[in-house]
Amino acid sequence: MKTTITHNGNQVIAAFAGRLDTAAAVQTAEDVKPLMELEHKEIILDCSQLEYISSSGLRIFLGIRKEAAAHGSKVIVRNISADIRQVFMMTGFISLFEIQ
Amino acid sequence: MKNENAHKAPRQRSSFWILLVAAILLEAIAFVQYFASHEAVKREAMQRAQSELRKAELEIETHTIEMETAAKMLAKLTQQYLDRPDSIYGATKMVVSTLHNTSVAVAFIPNYFPKKGHYYEICSTRSDDGIYTRQIGSAEHDYTQMEWFQNGLVIDSCWWCEPYLDDSGSQTWVVSCSCPVYDRNGQVVAVVCVDLSLDYLEQLSEYLQVFPKSYYTISSGNGQLIVPAPDTIPGRKYYTFTEDIDATGWHLEIIIPDDVLYADLRRIGLIITIMMLLGIIILGAMLYFAARTNKKLILSTEKNERMESELYIASAIQMAMLPKVFPPFADRPDLNIHGLVEPAKEVGGDLYDFYIRHDKLFFCIGDVSGKGVPASLVMAMTRSLFRTISSHEEKAAEIVKTMNASVTEQNTQNMFLTFFVGVLDCQTGILDYCNAGHNAPVLIANGEHHMLPVLANIPLGIDAEYPFVAQTTQMKHSDLLFLYTDGLTEAENSTHTLFGDERMMASLATVTDTCPRKVIEHMQGAVTTFVAGAEQSDDLTMLAIRYQYPALYMRNDIQQIPTLAEWIEGLGLPDELSMPVNLALEEAVTNVMLYAYPGQHGSVLVECAKSLDPATRAPRLIFTITDSGIPFDPTKKEEADISLSAEEREIGGLGIHLVRQIMSEVLYERKDDKNVLTLIKNI
Repeated sequence: MKTTITHNGNQVIAAFAGRLDTAAAVQTAEDVKPLMELEHKEIILDCSQLEYISSSGLRIFLGIRKEAAAHGSKVIVRNISADIRQVFMMTGFISLFEIQ
Repeated sequence: MKNENAHKAPRQRSSFWILLVAAILLEAIAFVQYFASHEAVKREAMQRAQSELRKAELEIETHTIEMETAAKMLAKLTQQYLDRPDSIYGATKMVVSTLHNTSVAVAFIPNYFPKKGHYYEICSTRSDDGIYTRQIGSAEHDYTQMEWFQNGLVIDSCWWCEPYLDDSGSQTWVVSCSCPVYDRNGQVVAVVCVDLSLDYLEQLSEYLQVFPKSYYTISSGNGQLIVPAPDTIPGRKYYTFTEDIDATGWHLEIIIPDDVLYADLRRIGLIITIMMLLGIIILGAMLYFAARTNKKLILSTEKNERMESELYIASAIQMAMLPKVFPPFADRPDLNIHGLVEPAKEVGGDLYDFYIRHDKLFFCIGDVSGKGVPASLVMAMTRSLFRTISSHEEKAAEIVKTMNASVTEQNTQNMFLTFFVGVLDCQTGILDYCNAGHNAPVLIANGEHHMLPVLANIPLGIDAEYPFVAQTTQMKHSDLLFLYTDGLTEAENSTHTLFGDERMMASLATVTDTCPRKVIEHMQGAVTTFVAGAEQSDDLTMLAIRYQYPALYMRNDIQQIPTLAEWIEGLGLPDELSMPVNLALEEAVTNVMLYAYPGQHGSVLVECAKSLDPATRAPRLIFTITDSGIPFDPTKKEEADISLSAEEREIGGLGIHLVRQIMSEVLYERKDDKNVLTLIKNI
């Protein structure tokens, strides 16, 4: 699991590659910490390379979502696969995030 | 052992009796022949002796007559020359010239010729030198005192004196024949005496020596021995044949010692006896060897029987050595195997075997051609070969090739066997298999069944060099490989209809539970129903192997989670199922890891099974997650309310929610101090 964060003007893009399972979530939680303090940014979670996500990963997404809301940032989830979309559906996350 | 002795004794006794009877018979023949010959020899000897005696008698009588004739002729001549005393010389000379080795004499009564003196005896002797005639009468040679003269005077015919040893000249036995000479007045005036040398009697041996070592005697009337015999030896038996000679009163005797008479017979008898003894020895030897051969035969028969039973036992032991404890690997939830050998009445040659080495399952099934002891022997050998060769070879083709070379090399009975070897990599599910003329196994995968595509190759034991080709297939989770021998497909019912491939496949199609034991019981039931009591003619052997990906053991460490994904991938689930199942299992497992072992190390076991829904017969996956932690029922855990906004959402509760979302049924049970969570996914 690899998390890459890039800044592009007002946008901060976090690109996830690999499987975000419970084990990977620990590291990913660390990796995404920089996103938590961003203010008034557009945070884009690029899931084009994300193969899998479990509830731990979802919790990270939810955490980002909550922090962003607290810091006046916006979170957009991009390029989710059908599998992940299915998980989002099952968990109601589909309605929690703006998905592009 | 008891039996052996019981067998042995009468045989030895009968040999002894045969030998004894043969010996008695042969000896009886020998004795009968001997005594018959004995009599014949005796009779022949007697006849010959009599005949020879008569010849001798004739010879003696010839001489006697000759001498008597000579004596009488001389008496006649003397009578004519009584008036001319000197002419007597000529008369004696003439007579002696007609005789052999003799002398003749004419002795006158004293003073018959006064001119010639008191004594007058003209004697003519014939010797080799010629005839010598002289007057020998004198006071010193007073013939008048001699027996022959005195008897000659009184006996009116020839008188034979007793033979006497002539001390005057030749030192030979001499016999004299005397007869009177009468004058014209009938007065005895002289006595003629013809001496006969008994030298000639020696020549009678020609007749009387009937056997080289027999002898004869000639004795005079009063027992004087003219021709003596050696003294008899006491204890020696003699046969005596006698003849009396009337003319001389002599007594002829042929004496044949018993041993001489029967010498030839005894020699022949001895030869015959020796030959018979040899015959008996040979017969004895023959009987001995025959008995030994018999014994060998008996022994080998016994040995065969024993061997057969031993081989039966060996076969039974070998059968027992075939894996018979099912399920065989308690620690291998990934492999479930069941096997069955239902031997026919006669010892057969079916076998199966399997074992695990280096996380690979080596298995085989085979059917030796023919039945009985040789087949079971080959079967036993084959199993050993399989174990030995596969212990250092992992490639199915190489195992088969090496086994084939060995079996062919050791194949003295022209037996062959169909054989199938599989090597299943338990890590990957890749099955490497090589067939040697055996029935194609059936693969039941995802509820479908088909015969595994197999190259027939050729059976083992035919061509040592045959290039067997292996094949591979991927066994998926819960796939079942069903192996069998032709005892199944060629099971016959009472109308000699074969069970056949079609019935077998049809029966397999109705299998609902791929538990190997149940599959085999199902097939056994199917074939039993089919044959309906007809006698089983061949071994019925079946082997079912169900492969499940390894059950997954994980420590209570969330860093182990990625192994779950690998494991699930290995299950070969349909793509659309893979991710949700993974997710559900991950959530359930994570729950265990996080909550079942608070502050402790622990483990969690994940297993998967494929089955049909008992009610709907729909296929379904059953996952069980087992841990030994504190009682923890995740189904009781409060679910996340997904209708809440992000701000309202709790961090927890998503996991069990996902499990419920994904799985068809979630069941928890506390069993044997373990938490067992069963997740059922209908597919």
